[in-house]
Formats: sequence, C-alpha cells, structure tokens
Amino acid sequence: MTAALPVLILMTSLVPAIVTFFLPQESHLLRNALNLGSAVLKLALIVAMLVAVAGGAIYEAALPLAPGLVLLLRVDEIALLFVSLSATLWLLTTIYAIAYFGDKAELSRFFGFFSLCVAATTGLALSGSLISFFLFFEMLTLSTWPLVAHKQNRASLDAARSYLLFALPGSAALLWAIIWLESTTGPVLFTDPPDLGGIDPWSQRAIFALFIIGVGVKAALVPLHGWLPAAMAAPAPVSALLHAVAVVKAGAFGVIRVVYDVFGAGTVVDLGVGVPLAALASLTILWGSIRALQQDEIKKRLAFSTVSQVSYIVLGAALAGPYAMIGGLVHLVHQGLMKITLFFCAGIYDERAGIKRIDGLNGLGARMPWTSTCFSLGAMGMVGLPPLAGFVSKFYLGLGGIEAGAPWVLAVLAASTLLNAAYFLPLLYRLWFLPPAEDASGDERAPALVAPAVVTAAGSLGVGILAASAISPLGWANLIVLRGYAP
Amino acid sequence: MNALVAVLALPLLGALAAVALPPRAGVRAALLATALTVAATIWLLLAVARRGVQGVILGGWEPPLGIGLAADGLGAAFIAMSAAVMGGVALAARQMMAPDVVGARAAFGFWPLMLLLWAALNAVFVSRDLFNLYVGLELLSLAAVALVAIGGKEAALAAAMRYMIFALAGSLLYLAGVVLAYAAHGTLDIGLLAARDAAPSDGLALALMTAGLLAKTAIFPFHVWLPPAHAGAPAPASALLSGLVPKASFLIILRLWFEAMPDRAGFAALMLLAGLGAGAVIWGSLQAMAQARLKMIVAYSTVAQLGYLLLVFPIAGGDGAAQPWAAGAWTGAMFQVLSHALAKAAMFLSAGLYLAAVGSDRLGDLRGLARTMPMTAFAFALAAVTLMGLPPSGGFTAKYLMMTAAFAAGQWYWALVMALGGLLAAAYLYRPMAVLFARESLIAPRPVTRAAQAVPLVLAGASILLGVFSAPPFEFMQIGRPDAAEEGL
Amino acid sequence: MSALLTGSVWPFAVLVWPLLLGLAPVVPAWRVQAPWVLPLAPLPALVFALFGAPGATELPHLILGVELEAVPGGALLLGMTAAVWTAAGWHAARTLERSWRAGILVGFWCLTLAGNLGVFLAADVVTFYVAFAAVSLAAWFLVVHDRTESALAAGRVYITLAVAGETLLLAGLLIGAQAADSLQIAAVRESLGQAPLGGLAVALLVAGFGIKAGLVPLHVWLPLAHPVAPVPGSAVLSGAIVKAGLIGLLLFLPAGTDWGAVLMGLGLLGAFAAALWGLTQRNPKAVLAYSTVSQMGLMLLLVGAGVGAGQAAAFYALHHGMAKGALFLLVGVAVAASTPRERRATLVLAGAVALSVAGLPLTGGALVKAAAKDGLAPAATFAVTLSGATTTLILAWFLHRLAVERKPTPGQNWAALAAGAALLALAAMLAPWVLWSGATDLPAGYPLRASVMFDAAWPVLAGLALAALVIRRPAPELPPGDLLTVSRPRARLHAPRRPVVVLPTALGRKFVRLLIRARTPEMALRRWSAAGGLLVAGVLLLAILLVDF
Repeated sequence: MTAALPVLILMTSLVPAIVTFFLPQESHLLRNALNLGSAVLKLALIVAMLVAVAGGAIYEAALPLAPGLVLLLRVDEIALLFVSLSATLWLLTTIYAIAYFGDKAELSRFFGFFSLCVAATTGLALSGSLISFFLFFEMLTLSTWPLVAHKQNRASLDAARSYLLFALPGSAALLWAIIWLESTTGPVLFTDPPDLGGIDPWSQRAIFALFIIGVGVKAALVPLHGWLPAAMAAPAPVSALLHAVAVVKAGAFGVIRVVYDVFGAGTVVDLGVGVPLAALASLTILWGSIRALQQDEIKKRLAFSTVSQVSYIVLGAALAGPYAMIGGLVHLVHQGLMKITLFFCAGIYDERAGIKRIDGLNGLGARMPWTSTCFSLGAMGMVGLPPLAGFVSKFYLGLGGIEAGAPWVLAVLAASTLLNAAYFLPLLYRLWFLPPAEDASGDERAPALVAPAVVTAAGSLGVGILAASAISPLGWANLIVLRGYAP
Repeated sequence: MNALVAVLALPLLGALAAVALPPRAGVRAALLATALTVAATIWLLLAVARRGVQGVILGGWEPPLGIGLAADGLGAAFIAMSAAVMGGVALAARQMMAPDVVGARAAFGFWPLMLLLWAALNAVFVSRDLFNLYVGLELLSLAAVALVAIGGKEAALAAAMRYMIFALAGSLLYLAGVVLAYAAHGTLDIGLLAARDAAPSDGLALALMTAGLLAKTAIFPFHVWLPPAHAGAPAPASALLSGLVPKASFLIILRLWFEAMPDRAGFAALMLLAGLGAGAVIWGSLQAMAQARLKMIVAYSTVAQLGYLLLVFPIAGGDGAAQPWAAGAWTGAMFQVLSHALAKAAMFLSAGLYLAAVGSDRLGDLRGLARTMPMTAFAFALAAVTLMGLPPSGGFTAKYLMMTAAFAAGQWYWALVMALGGLLAAAYLYRPMAVLFARESLIAPRPVTRAAQAVPLVLAGASILLGVFSAPPFEFMQIGRPDAAEEGL
Repeated sequence: MSALLTGSVWPFAVLVWPLLLGLAPVVPAWRVQAPWVLPLAPLPALVFALFGAPGATELPHLILGVELEAVPGGALLLGMTAAVWTAAGWHAARTLERSWRAGILVGFWCLTLAGNLGVFLAADVVTFYVAFAAVSLAAWFLVVHDRTESALAAGRVYITLAVAGETLLLAGLLIGAQAADSLQIAAVRESLGQAPLGGLAVALLVAGFGIKAGLVPLHVWLPLAHPVAPVPGSAVLSGAIVKAGLIGLLLFLPAGTDWGAVLMGLGLLGAFAAALWGLTQRNPKAVLAYSTVSQMGLMLLLVGAGVGAGQAAAFYALHHGMAKGALFLLVGVAVAASTPRERRATLVLAGAVALSVAGLPLTGGALVKAAAKDGLAPAATFAVTLSGATTTLILAWFLHRLAVERKPTPGQNWAALAAGAALLALAAMLAPWVLWSGATDLPAGYPLRASVMFDAAWPVLAGLALAALVIRRPAPELPPGDLLTVSRPRARLHAPRRPVVVLPTALGRKFVRLLIRARTPEMALRRWSAAGGLLVAGVLLLAILLVDF
C-alpha cells in the first residue's frame, strides 16, 4: 500500500482523463459522474494519507525510466500541502465547470484535458526527484494549452500561443539547468540536497538563474508574466484552475523546491542569490498590482492580481528563513482559495449577467448577494484584511522579511496592501454602493455555480480564523518547517 | 529457421508474391508477409534479449570468405522499429493505397516496394560487412526512389529523379571508400576491420564512405533532395521514407566510426560531423517554419531531427568512447532514432489522413480539422511532443541522455543546440497545431474511419511509451555493444 | 490538542455576542426589526466592565492564537465604550429607517462594536490588529450609511486613511513581534524600545494610531466623516471609535521614547487649533467633530507626557467618550424635538454636558482634568487649564448653532431619545466621581479644593465671555476638512487603457519576413551545381581531417 497510494492518487486523475477523451459528447451523465467520482475518491485518498503523514509516514513509489531518469513519487508534507489544495479545488472546479458549460460543445475534450491538467499538477506535487518534477511540469504545459485555447476563437488561440511562447523557452531553461546540475551531481532527489561542491560558485549561480527562469515563467515573475493576463481568454473554470491551482502554483511550488530542496536555503544565502530573487519577487508584486490598477476588465484585473500575489510565495521562498517559508507555503494555499473564489465569481458575473467589465458591476450586490459577498470576501482577503487568509500569509512574510534582515520587505508588503486596496475596494464599492445600470439583468439561480464559490470563500475566511489550529494550512506549514526546513 | 534469416527472407518472399499474384491476392499476401515478419521480429527480439547477439554464417563460410550476419541489441532494436512502422503503414495503406484512391498502378506497386524496402532495411541492420551493406543500401535506394515516383505526378517524378541522383552519388562515394578499404586490408568485415593494422588510405576511405552516407542520410547541407521527395510521395510511403530509410545509412556511419575504424575518429572530424548536425537542426527547423504545406513542414522536420543524431559523435566517439558518459550519449542517439521513426511515421500518416479528408495539405485548408478528426489531431500532437523532446516521450529520453552526456563531456554547446532545436520544433509544429485547433473549418471534410485514425495514434503513442518505459530498451540496446560502459550517467 | 478555550469565557462572549447579533439581518424575516438588536449588543461588555473580574482568556486555535485580558486602563475604556454603544444603539434602533440598508448597517455596526471592544481586551498583537481592523474598516459603513454625495466623498477619505493606517500598523507590529519573538503585547512593547528597527516601528505605530486618534495633521477624516454619518454613528465614532487609536498608543508606546515629545507638541497644537477652527463651521456636528479633535489633542498630550502610565489619559477618555457621545446624540434629540419645551430641555441638557466637557467645577469633566494635570510639567498644566477656555468657546458655539439650526423631523419619540442621551450624560457626569479613587492617587477631596475649583472655573468663564463675542460676530464659514478640502470625487486613478501586449508584434512580423527570405538560400542549395559542389567540398573536408599527411 505504501508504494501504491501515490500512484493511485495520480491515477485518480489520469485514468478519468484518458477515459473522458473517448466518451461521446452526449454522455453527460457518465462524464460528470466519472469526473466527480474520481475527484471525490482522490480527496478521500488524500485525507487518508494526510492523517498518516501527520503521524510521520512517508509514501514512495519509483519507476526507473532510463539510467539517471527515475520517476519518483514521494509523498512528504510539502507535497501533501500542494496536493490537498489541488484535490480540493479540483473537486469544486469540476462542479463549477459542469454547471458552467452545461451542454456546450467539445466537453469531452475539455474535461479530458482538465483532468490531465490536474493529473500533471498532482504528479508535480508528488514528485520526489528533479526529473520527475520536470516531467510533470511539461505535462502541465501541454495539457493546459488546449484548455486555454478551448474557445477556439482568435483571442484564445492567440492567448494559447503566447502561453507556449513563454512556457516552452522556460522549459528549455529548466531542462538546461537540470541537466547542467545533474551532469555533475547525478540525479537529484528532493530528500537529500545534492552536493554542489563540484560546481564553481558562478556556475551554481547561473544554474540557479536558469532554474528561476524555468519555473519563473509559470510563476509569472516579471518580466516573464506576459502570458498570464492574455490567458484570460480561456473560460472561467480554466482561469480559476490556472490561477489558483495548476500553472502559476506549479511555478511557485517549483521555486520552493528549487530553493529548499535542490540548493538548500543555506546555499541560496551563501551564494547571495536569495536577495536578488526576493527583489525580483517584490518587483513582480508591485508591478502586477500597478498593472492591475489599470485594467478595466474584471478578469484582467484579477490576472494581474495573480501575477502580484503569486510572487508572495516566491518572496517567502527567496527570503530563505523559517518564518518566510511558512508565509510562502501558507500563501500557496491561501492565495489558491481566495483567487479561485474571485474567478468563480467573475465567471458567474459573466455567465449569469453578461458582465465582463468593471463598470458593469454597479449595484450587483443587491441582485446577486451570494456571489457578491463571496467576491468581497475574496477581495478583502487579497488586500490582507484580518482575519482573512491573506492576512495570515502577509503576517508571516513580514516576520520572515525582518528575520532575514530584509526589512524593506515590509515596505513592499505595505505598498502591495495599499495597491491591492486601490484596485479591489473600488470593485466592492461598485458592487454594493453604486446604483445599477437601467438595463441591468442577471440573477444567481445557479446553485452549482454559486456553491463552489461559497465554499471557497468560506474557506478563505475559515483558514484565517482557525489559522492557529493544527489542522489549518498554517498548522501544516508549521509542521513542514519544523520537520524539515528549519535551519 | 533462424529468426534472423526470417526477417530478411519473409519480406522478400512477400514482395515476390505481391508481384506474382493478381492484385487482390497480392495485397493479401503482402499483408500476410507483413504479419509474419512482425512475428519473426518479435521472435528475434526475444532471442536477442535472452541469448545475446544472434549471428548466422551464410553458407557455412567464416568471414572474410563468407558472409556473416549478426543482430546485436542495436540491430535488433532497429529491426523492431522497422517492424512497428511497417506494420502501422501496412494497416494504413490498405485504405490509403487502395486502387480507387491512388490508381491501380500505384496500388499495385506499393506493396512489393514496401516489402522490398523492408528486406533491404533489415539487411542493412544485420549486415557486418561493408559490401553487404552497400548492396543493402542500393536495394534500399531503389525501392525508396520507386516509392517516391509511385504517385506518378510530375513533381513527384522530378523529386524522385533528384533523389536518385543524390542516392547514386552517395553510393558511388561509399563504394569508392569500400574499394579503398578492401585494397588495403583484404576484408570488409567490420569485426575484422576493427582489428586491422592501420593503413594510410584508411582516412580517405572513411572520408569517402562518410560523405556518401551523409548525402544518403540527407544531412545538412546535403538534404535538399529530401523534402520534395518525402512530401511528394504518397503518405504511407513518406512515413517509411522519413521514418526508416535515413536511419539505415546513419547506422552504417555509426558502425564505421564506432566499430570499424574508431581509431581514425579524430576530434576535429567528430566536431565537423556534429557541426553539420547542428546546422541541420537549425536550418531544417527554420525551413520548416517557412513552409506552407503540412507535408513539407513534416519533411523539413526530418532534416532537423536527423541532425541530432550527428551530435553523438564528438560526445561518445573517438576518445569519448571510453568515458562513462559515452553509453548515455550513444543510447540517447539511438532513442532519437527510434522515437523519431515512430513519431514521424505517425505524423506523415496523420498528414495523409488530412489530405484524404480535405484533398489538400495547405495549412489554410486544414482549419478546424481537430473537431472532425480528433484522434488524428491527437496523434499529431503526441508525435509533436516527441519531436519537441518534451517528457515523457522517447524524444525526451533521447535528449535528456544526450544533453547530460554533453555536459559531462564539457561540450555544453551541443546541449544548447538540442535545447534550441526543441524550441524550434515547437515553433514549426505549433502552426499546424493551431490551425487544426481553429474553430471554423472552410472545407467540409470527407469522413475518415476511426480504424484508419487509430494507426497514427498507436504509433505516436508508442513514441511516448518509449519514454515512459525507457529502461528496458536502454538495457536491450547495450547487448553486444563494443566496449559498452555498463552504467550510464 | 490543547483545549479550545482556557480561562474565563466572559471576554470571549463579550466579543462574540455582537457578532452573532450582527447576523440577524441575514434572516429575511428579522431584517426589518433588526435594529432592535443594537442596544443589546454591547450589554455583555457593559456587565463585564462593571462586574468583570480581571482574568486572562486563551483561545489557542483561533487566528494565530487569541489571548484576551483587560488591562486596567483598558477596562475603563471598555466600560465607556460599552456605555456609548448602548446609548447610541438605543438611538439608532429608534431612528433608523427600516430598510435593506438598515440591515447592512446593523451587521457592520455590530462588527465595528466587536472590534471596538476587542482593542481593549486584546492581549496579543494579532488579536489587537484584527480588532483594530474591524473597528477601523467596518466603521466605514457608518460613515457612508446615508449614501449622499458628501457621505460617499467623506467615506473615500475615511477608507483611504483607514487602509493606510492599517498598513502602517501592520508593519510596525511585525517589527515588534519579530524583535520580541512573541505576540504578547507587553513583550512587544518592551522590545520596541531596544529593537534595531524599534524607532521605525514606533514611528509607524504613532502614524497608524494617530490617524485613528485624530492626531494633527492626520485628523482630516474626522471633521469630514462625523457630520455626514447618521447621528448614532457620529456618536460612536467620536465617543468610542477614536479611542481605539488612543488605547493603541497607550499599549504600544514604549517607555521613554522620544515620540512622547512629538505627541505632546502635536496634541497641544490640535487642542487649540482645532477648537478655533471649529468656529468656522456651521453644522453642529462638524463643530462637535472639531471639538473631538481638540479633546483628543489633550489626551494625546497626556499620553505623550506618559503620566501615570496612561491612566490619566484613559480616565480623561472615559469622561470625554461618554460626554461627546451624549452631545452627538443630543443633536439627534434636538431634531426630534417638536415643541419649544422639548427643544429647551434638549438645549439645557446639552449645555450641562458641554460645561462638563469644558471642566466646570464639580462636573465629571473637572475631575478628570484635575486628575490629568497632576504630575504634568507646569507649562503643560497651564496649557490644559487654558484649553478649558477654548473648549468652552467651541461648545458654546455648538450650542448656539444647535439652537439656530432647526430641521425638525416629526414622528420620533422625543422622550425616548432624550432619555437615552440623558442617561449617557449622567454617566459621564457621575462616573469620574465613582471611579476617582481607583483611577488616581489623589485624595478623595482633591476636586473640592479651592485652588482646583478656581483653576477649573476661570477658563470656563473666560470661554463664555469669548463665546458671547463670537456669537455676535461669527467667524467666516469654511467647508469642513481644513487641510483637505474635498470637492467633487476626483477622476479615478486610471491610466489610459493599454492593451496587454503579449508579443512584440512588429518583431514577430520581421521574423516571419526573415523566414521567408531564408527560403532563397535553400532554393540555391537545390541547384545541381551547388549540391555537387557541396558534396565534393564535404568529401575534401572530411578527407583533410581524417587523412594523416
């Protein structure tokens, strides 16, 4: 069972993906049952494993591909953090997507790639070696493309193209870094950081830079972020998945792995690459927010907000201290909850009221109170209002920044808070205070659309209010840092 | 009967039967021969895997007097590759090369030529004698040129003509080298040549043979015959020509430089070969990007993909052969051969299906076909994944092994070429993918059966599985490898 | 797993009760009558403040581990806050129109209340910050409740400053928490004195709390927000909410910081300048708002002086909170007055409260002032004494404006409203007497001493004389907001829209052209001469490299 469980978890997404491709468009019931069933099953397996891992168990499954190429699935605490997030949000997004698409065309293709995307994310989370990580990283790149292009119109095809245009050179950089590193150290497992003694410091820095470029494209680090706002052309469930669980998170998760498991926090500090990375993350945080301020489309604004918010995670990793690490790790979950709420709501506004632009939000609060409340919670969490999720992350990041001797991080966080407020609060103001347009229409009589948003919004409130309890994401992040990452 | 003899004899017999019997029965006989050969190939694979190198001495005469055939791990792997591609092509050709589609003459000619090509390929893969290899090559070129010309269109004939002239020039150069070697050593057996006393003419002989083989392998800048020929042939033929044929001449280069005359492999010459390979990767990709027809894109992609193979020479050849990374680089190149064969065959067959559906392979006419033929589009995409070298495909395994070795050997620039090549492949394969994926379709496509669509999908899937289960083939190809370092990196 | 809650359950109940009541409007059937929960919401807090035994409560699983404990100064303010909110809640329950918007107000009213109580109970920085954010941000709904143009404009200023304040606070608290390696307020306060970044942290905290406490020049939101909010909203804003900033400074300002002098200076400036500026206002509530800035200036002066570990400031705030709350409520009472008798009674009551604030001997105000002056430097003592004159002046001006401005809105039960305000006023008058011995070390008869009475009386008389002049020749009318005059809502912060540029398209086009040109050399390679030449060249090159010469 020990080896089978990780494989089983991977299969709960992979198998439905493959089967779904071959289902005819009309068999809605079967497809939905398959996707929902496997999502529930996966979640159950993960809960079972969470309990075991909290007790200290480690699950491992290895598949040797070729000499030096070992596909290693290893469930440790940090992997579980990511995989639980993705499994939970996958289930919700599946419900949402089923309601969102109704009986539109090409659903088998969509759900096939959707599951494939989640399978890739799962694999990526469970990867125990650098090369397995790369493998799933690429699988993710490819399975996301059809999702972005799903609408098949000009805009989404352009978006999909620009996605690959950024992602593939990123992959090349990542592969380059991996091979450069592994040609000296041999295969890198995340359990024991490789001995970098054989590489001169400047080469180490170059490898680090290549790694960051590689994963930074997905994490949408400025200036590698251009694809993310463009990818807004995708349907709402895809955006939700992309921004909260799959792609940008994979990048951020990659940064964590690179800093802590490939190089090791100590080496990162010794090499002097942590501060430049933190600076880059800070630049991204600010630039993303400033650009968000300039957007008139809801989803674009949210997209630039993601650019900004995901770099909190990168910042946490780059500061290479225990508090910062906790902040980064916990934001991995928190940002996911909040951002997926926002995208769910943006999708509902679009789908139920035909509203895409910010000025269309006027007075929607009264007509769509549930959606608008969820949206408000998500937005306030993003701003970092206590006791919502975003506050907890920010608190730990701030502590970590001072601890790492980088108090300027506080200024970045403060500026980001203000910018976040500046681009989110006007939306809430419009929702709740401005009179609706005369020809306004729309309602929220679509429980399957609204319910996932309510759940995630409640989640982003709950993880903040119950942050100190052991079962919260913060508790788990503490556990991770205590067990393996404290210097 | 020995499995080794069977894989040579069965296609030949099938070819004879296909010519001799009336058309319908001929096709049936050809299919039967295909099935039998595939079975024999499996038999051979098992034999090699269990008992090591399989050799046979024809007529009981030991070399240098007699002719020796031997299937080592490498040869057997190549034979298996041909069997996979041939099997797929044969299945696809039943519809694509039916008389009502391509005309009676082409339909009649295809089957014997295909089987002849197969026999020639297998002969090259198991021959250990330079003259035998020459005969095999000639046979191969003959069949290949005929397959290009089979369509009978004017452009195809011109392309076939150009192909033939290149092939002949290559053969002549090769033959000249063989003659020089024979004059100096009195033997053409590779094993005996490896143990020879060096002669002053060896260098020239190797240069002539290599140049000739490079022309036949369509390595940049001798590649100009390939794209029109491969694009002009009917799709199943293109699949064979692009996937398999260049690999035969490449294998001979490999055997020459690694087995027959490794002592002549100076670093500068090795670098020249790799330089040509790098040129091929970049030039072929750029040309592929500039093409407007699907088959031309795929054909130029072959030019680019063949370039990777030459990068193995400075990494694992010459002095590098004894290094720990040599096995990785060498096996990586072989993975590239295998996965490219499968993927390229899948791609050409997909292109053929599209051509059959809309009657054109101009990119503009292919819009929206992913909707009507999703399986084919998926096959094309999977094959593209392999060609781009993305995990978990065989192409990735190839690239990973070669890049790691390149770094270990301190030749990171070749790794750069490989990385760049992957990006360029993405660039030139993206256009057809995007077009297929577009919403609107201009031309109402003719229906294509699912069975026909399944063939390229299986081939492309195999090229991916080659990466997922890359350990067994890796082990297999080490069987009988000269001074194989047991462990890779 | 540790217990969910250890210690007394009361402090927690005090905070949760209003939050629960605040959910009442969610139930549609209760929505219309929801305002009736408002006077009930602060009751547990009131009971706790009156009878509550000091004790610590821990809820280790909540947020980052909640710790609640009422510090002595905090207990005074907690009681005052509960009283003000109760009276204001009563007023609100009777005057709010029954609508969907009232439902929203009820929810956020309760949230603000919980936050306001929380800042006095919090024993760890995170709980404090959470409570502060709640009181600070949720109060925005009190400001904008009427949705008028000026309310929304004031709301913009309010929320901007509030969010900025939150941000500054968080940064300051983070530095403190990191340096202390603890979240306990006492530990944080201690470490702020020594931490390397402690100076910066204190500056951030002073600015953050200063915004809330109306520290000049960060007070600009105050005179804008108070006049536009509904009457009970203004009462809690001015009476209770601004005290959140005060308790923040009391809790976090480390002993012996240089910032004390700054606070004293700015406090003094505010005490006099705001009172005088208030004379340019016509709206009684705006006048009261300036009076609040002025009074808060005095309290900041006390905080800065560090007298009696802040007990004096808390004691002063106790009286001011209830008195100012009563005055604001009386504005509403005056509006409800329908007969001359009722109007007269209202004015008399307001006059009494105003005199107490000014510090007329024997009033509650005189007591807290006397306690405050104890231990101050002579100059500061004189300033506090003198401020009695300006306070009298501005409150007299307020009474004048209240008498002049007549916008009666019939249909309200004057007596009920007046009773609420009167009770609060009574509490303001009496509480300092009751609490005197606990809140100061001075002897019980101290306020009755002649010198003390004289010091309290002459400024009031002087102020009244000045007021007589001012009422005859009023100062020119100016819009509220002094430093920040709010006009129309300004154009939003939108830069001209730029498309998201994904691909440098020009570059892309150039590349395509280059590609097409690359086909020409390919064609050249296909020529037989080129192909043959290359083949020969290839043979030669290989031969050169392979043959030993």
